[in-house]
Amino acid sequence: MLGLSPRIAFRLAVLLALAGALAAATRPRYGGTLRVEIRASIESADPPQLGTGMPDLAPAFSITRWEAGRRAAYAADEDAPGGRPFLDEVQVELARTPREQAIDLDVGKADLIEIPPGEARRQAAGRRTWVSQPVRVLLLAFGARVDDARAREALSLAVDRTAIFNVLLQRQGEISGALLPQWLSGYAFAFNSASDAARARELAASVPAAARSLSIGVNDGALRPIAERIALNARDAGLAVSVAAQGGGADVRLIEMRIAAAEPARPLAGIATMLGLAPPAQADSADALYNAERALLDGFRVVPLFHLTDVYGVAARVKGGPGISPLGAWRFENLWLEGGRP
Amino acid sequence: MTFRTRLLVVYTLAVVASVGMVEWLVERATRDAFESMERQRADALVAQFQREYDRRGQEIVRAVKDVALSDAAVNVAISSDDSAFYNEASAMASAHGLGLLELVGGDGAIVSSAEWPVRFGYKEDWLLAPTGWKPGAAFLRREELPDGFTLALAAVETVNAGGRQLYVAGGQQLDQEFLAGLVLPAGMNVLLYRNLEPQFARRLLTGAADAVTDTPEFQSLIERVIRERRARVATLGSGAAAETVHALPLAGIDDNLLAVLLIVSSRRELVELENSLGRNGAWVAAGAILTGILMAAWATARVTRPVRRLAESAGQVAAGNWNATVEVTSRDEVGQLAQAFNRMTHELVEQRERLVQTERVAAWRELARRLAHELKNPLFPLQITVENMQRARESHPQEFDEVFREGSRTLLAELANLKQIIGRFSDFAKMPAPEMQPVNLNALAGETMKLFEAQFAQARVTARVELAAELPTVAADAEQIARALRNLVLNAIDAMPEGGTLTVRTMPQGAGARIEIADTGTGLSQEECARLFTPYYTTKTHGTGLGLAIVQSVVSDHHGRITVESQPGKGTTFRIDLG
Repeated sequence: MLGLSPRIAFRLAVLLALAGALAAATRPRYGGTLRVEIRASIESADPPQLGTGMPDLAPAFSITRWEAGRRAAYAADEDAPGGRPFLDEVQVELARTPREQAIDLDVGKADLIEIPPGEARRQAAGRRTWVSQPVRVLLLAFGARVDDARAREALSLAVDRTAIFNVLLQRQGEISGALLPQWLSGYAFAFNSASDAARARELAASVPAAARSLSIGVNDGALRPIAERIALNARDAGLAVSVAAQGGGADVRLIEMRIAAAEPARPLAGIATMLGLAPPAQADSADALYNAERALLDGFRVVPLFHLTDVYGVAARVKGGPGISPLGAWRFENLWLEGGRP
Repeated sequence: MTFRTRLLVVYTLAVVASVGMVEWLVERATRDAFESMERQRADALVAQFQREYDRRGQEIVRAVKDVALSDAAVNVAISSDDSAFYNEASAMASAHGLGLLELVGGDGAIVSSAEWPVRFGYKEDWLLAPTGWKPGAAFLRREELPDGFTLALAAVETVNAGGRQLYVAGGQQLDQEFLAGLVLPAGMNVLLYRNLEPQFARRLLTGAADAVTDTPEFQSLIERVIRERRARVATLGSGAAAETVHALPLAGIDDNLLAVLLIVSSRRELVELENSLGRNGAWVAAGAILTGILMAAWATARVTRPVRRLAESAGQVAAGNWNATVEVTSRDEVGQLAQAFNRMTHELVEQRERLVQTERVAAWRELARRLAHELKNPLFPLQITVENMQRARESHPQEFDEVFREGSRTLLAELANLKQIIGRFSDFAKMPAPEMQPVNLNALAGETMKLFEAQFAQARVTARVELAAELPTVAADAEQIARALRNLVLNAIDAMPEGGTLTVRTMPQGAGARIEIADTGTGLSQEECARLFTPYYTTKTHGTGLGLAIVQSVVSDHHGRITVESQPGKGTTFRIDLG
């Protein structure tokens, strides 16, 4: 070969063969079905069109089957604007508990599962995870019945965010006293998130006895431990807080809201609207945005607690990730599966 | 009540009392024995429960020790990051069958809690206390849960690894489930009062199965045990529903009285046994009493038969049959009594005959004396008259006619007197039987008093008649009663030679009537009163002594009764009662 010595030629041939094999192994392959499991049980007659998750599959994938509350199937669109996805199909199983999802991932029945915040650190060594930016804000929203600001402030100061963050959230996400996460606004650190048990007790003691009894409503079972811990903290401050399963009639709701846009002003306005607060003032600068958020949080009608990330567990055969954006949106068009068609 | 009846009643009472006392003693002794057995059974049950309780405690100790020896616990102990073990206790508790489990760091902060997972980081200072719990021993503890306090049988072990210490505190709630899990003998129930509040609260009293309904009955017992801090035994309820309750105070490691355990054993079997015994005893006692009464009746009849015969014979004697005798059938006291009775009646008959002879002689002598006296008085004038007539014929014939006429008158008068005397004796001898008819004593008394009005005036006697307004009629012979009254009135007039007051009084007397004739005359001594009705006895210088004898004879023929009451110098009262 080109006057090379046989020894060198042999070595070169071996290197070329290895490089070819490596190239063949890392080359995207078409075909296969990505099996996704999520906790949400979507009972609507039609598949969701808005929000994060399944709506993000369009336009690369088109819905082919919808069984409300059970499963959905999306097929690759041959005429997708960015080209046909490598995957043939995405199957989404709904209403799967975290435990079921973890088992299915372990036994190879699922390729992609949601991992609750508290479980992220417990994943088996070597398991791949995709983690978004902190895009979900966990907050306490007081109802109109709790009209004594001292009671609201007492509860906000009673919450030991650090303990919850360290144990229940397993340090996933961020402790925050702001609605917008630090990575998005840049000023979240300026909002107080520390607990002050003494001040909380002082405030609670100044509240009439009837106003010291509160109920926390939490719809998401995964958030219930956090609500119970908050109730425990509140009890130490002198407030009698009970945890209710349904948030509708509760004095306070522990709710999670998603930051759906990378532009800070939009999610702030969206949160205010969803919480029924006065719309924030138009903010053209970081200072204005800070002031607008500060105005929303004055009066302790809303008490931000944490910003949480989206965490997904990924099977080893899923290649080409990460399959989520920094905002947690599904981006499956570039994923492919090991063992697919070459 | 007859002697036989009285004796039967006495025998019956004696039998009933004896049988009743024996029955009571037997029943009481039996009940005491059963109660003693019941106490022993209850004590055995309590001991059995205590063993079961201890066994459960040892199970908890073993389970906690197993947890402490597990790799998972060692991992928690040696880990520098407690936050990773937030859910560890729940899994461990589930794996080792513990209802409560806490993993507590060396600083006393909860690493993981099965019963209250979100309580991580909180301090359990009691684990660090120098005194209190001991490894390998179960103890009672007041445990706080999200929905309030509860009571737990707990144990603690420590894990020392990598220079770090971990407390493993596990246990079981003392709740309905715990009680239901105890292996208890039949007829036994266990209730637990968790002393978690200052005042008694019904909801803190729980049983192994059913809801506890008889709270008031248990409340006082529980409060007493809490107050006195010592075990008590009480019987609650009554009858077959009664239960023996052993109330045991259960203290925690800090010596606080945390619970009162009520070990309830039913007394139903005992009560039913006692009731059965009581019923059988009652039947036996009733049978014994009935048999005793029958035997008493037989014995009474046997004993009283000779007495009854004796009484009948005595009655015959009393009725005048002095020849009555009693058959002697035995040699005992009753037989001796019968013999004595027969001797007595024999003596009485002989004495009566002798008395009759004597009285008959005395009567004849009295009659002779009276007749001689009565006849002598008219005979003397007769003799004088005849002698005068003889002397006049011999000495003065010219005057004989005159003397003869006067003598004839005298003789006729005396002969009439003799005839009258003889008539009285004849009347007394020929007293006819009364002809009974309804008689009003008021009318009879009034008519009698009218007859004597002239004599009253002549004798300066004031007559008073006091008649009852409502006097029942009596069955009597009006003529004989009037005759008796006349005799009494004449007697009264004779008793008042200087005048006085004679009172006739009538009044009801039971179903019959009484008539009284009272005078204010000289009165009679007691001896005179005693002999007043004896025939031919008189206190007067004239008279036959038959008047009051006739009165008594009339009253006697009417089955009536006459009595006399007199005081010398104050007068005499005769009372006649007629039925």
